[in-house]
Amino acid sequence: MDVLQLIQSNLLTPIVLFFLFGIIAARIKSDLKIPDAISEFLPIYLLAAIGLHGGIEMRNTGFEVMLLPMLIAIVLSLLFTLNHYQILRRLGKFNLFDSYALASTYGAVGAVTFSVGLSFLKNQGVTSEGYLAAILAVLEPVAFILAIFLTNIAVSKQIKAKKESLGKIKTESEFEMGISETKTNLKQVLHESITGKAIVILLGSIIIGYVIGEEGFSSISIVFDELFTGAIVIFLIEMGIIAGQRLDDIKKVGIFLTTFAIIMPTFNGIIGVLVATVLGLSLGGAVMFGLLLASASFIAAPAVLRHAIPQAKPSLYITSALGITFPYNIIVLLPIMFMVSSLVHSDEAIDLFYYLTQVLV
Amino acid sequence: MKLYNVKLLTVTCEILAQKNVIDILSKHNITGYTTYEVEGNGARGLRGQGLKNEKNVKVEVIMQEKKLQDVVEEIARTLFTNFAVVLYVSDVGVIRTEKFV
Repeated sequence: MDVLQLIQSNLLTPIVLFFLFGIIAARIKSDLKIPDAISEFLPIYLLAAIGLHGGIEMRNTGFEVMLLPMLIAIVLSLLFTLNHYQILRRLGKFNLFDSYALASTYGAVGAVTFSVGLSFLKNQGVTSEGYLAAILAVLEPVAFILAIFLTNIAVSKQIKAKKESLGKIKTESEFEMGISETKTNLKQVLHESITGKAIVILLGSIIIGYVIGEEGFSSISIVFDELFTGAIVIFLIEMGIIAGQRLDDIKKVGIFLTTFAIIMPTFNGIIGVLVATVLGLSLGGAVMFGLLLASASFIAAPAVLRHAIPQAKPSLYITSALGITFPYNIIVLLPIMFMVSSLVHSDEAIDLFYYLTQVLV
Repeated sequence: MKLYNVKLLTVTCEILAQKNVIDILSKHNITGYTTYEVEGNGARGLRGQGLKNEKNVKVEVIMQEKKLQDVVEEIARTLFTNFAVVLYVSDVGVIRTEKFV
């Protein structure tokens, strides 16, 4: 099957169709709306299901196997965030705050995207490594912390320059000022993101999944396994409605950011798939690893960034992440990454890989 | 029954600025306030739909006039540029003035 066929068949899955339906409902100004309590409940449910599956599988595979992929994911996420910043600041001419906010939004992970990815793989009859759920939890605050730290350094630099031009004696270097400023800020951000509901429910479910194992899970599998895709569908109606309401804002986002919101995830995602393949992850695992790096955060990002970098315009980072990148990721990029992963996991590719290592060694 | 004159400060802001407002209040030793979620339209467009983090809240605080200036000044200085905030003050009468320091 080629990519276009795969995208086409992906378009006709209930998840994507209901998402598009939500957009249409918003465009025709229907009063259709998922009740608040349910749309707040569903992300918690999805994370609980992801965590339980991850925990159960980690019991089978052990903790050691996940350390290297996790470390590499953190390093890649940081590198990508820096890379985003340079592109946005230099080529996109965004101001410092918007650049850092957007860079970290795209460096962070999207839990909803992750859930959609899991059910996409389920649909293709492919499994993925359970410990990716743990990587999801660890990656969540990483990009934000870096962006907040760098923003504080840059702001301190500006303050220092201003003070010097006023002829005041300099007392601290900008780096020290940045660190002391970040410390107070970071403590709050770290506390908020680690005790935030997303990470708490995810880590809690991983631990519970690890403890109960397969046998314990069988009694609750009807809720956390069979209902999973259905729950995503309901949540995606809501996501579609919100994305649809924001379609008009995309004009304000501009051509540069729109292009960025499509090219960057593609680049990050494919790098992720290739790196994961080299690390020895399975076909499905490599797709999910790529998706972790490709996804942009739109639920956690506003909560963190609004406090840490209040100067950045939320209309930019929410609209581009939810209105452009999310639909692109679940409709187009997932099939593309699946094809790339299948290619590099095919027998010939593995033969080639062995051949190359033989030659090199 | 005798009513004493105090001030009611009402701040309508995005939900993510609520914590900042309350921090400012507690910095001035004001612990009592009431909040509720609201919707509306304003300079930053229709608000209160969609994501929970994009909702608006209304914070109501009763305080003595002498504190009001400092509180209002600090909210204006720290929040007006970056957040969606509308703030107004009204005169109200209360019975137990000692509750609102």
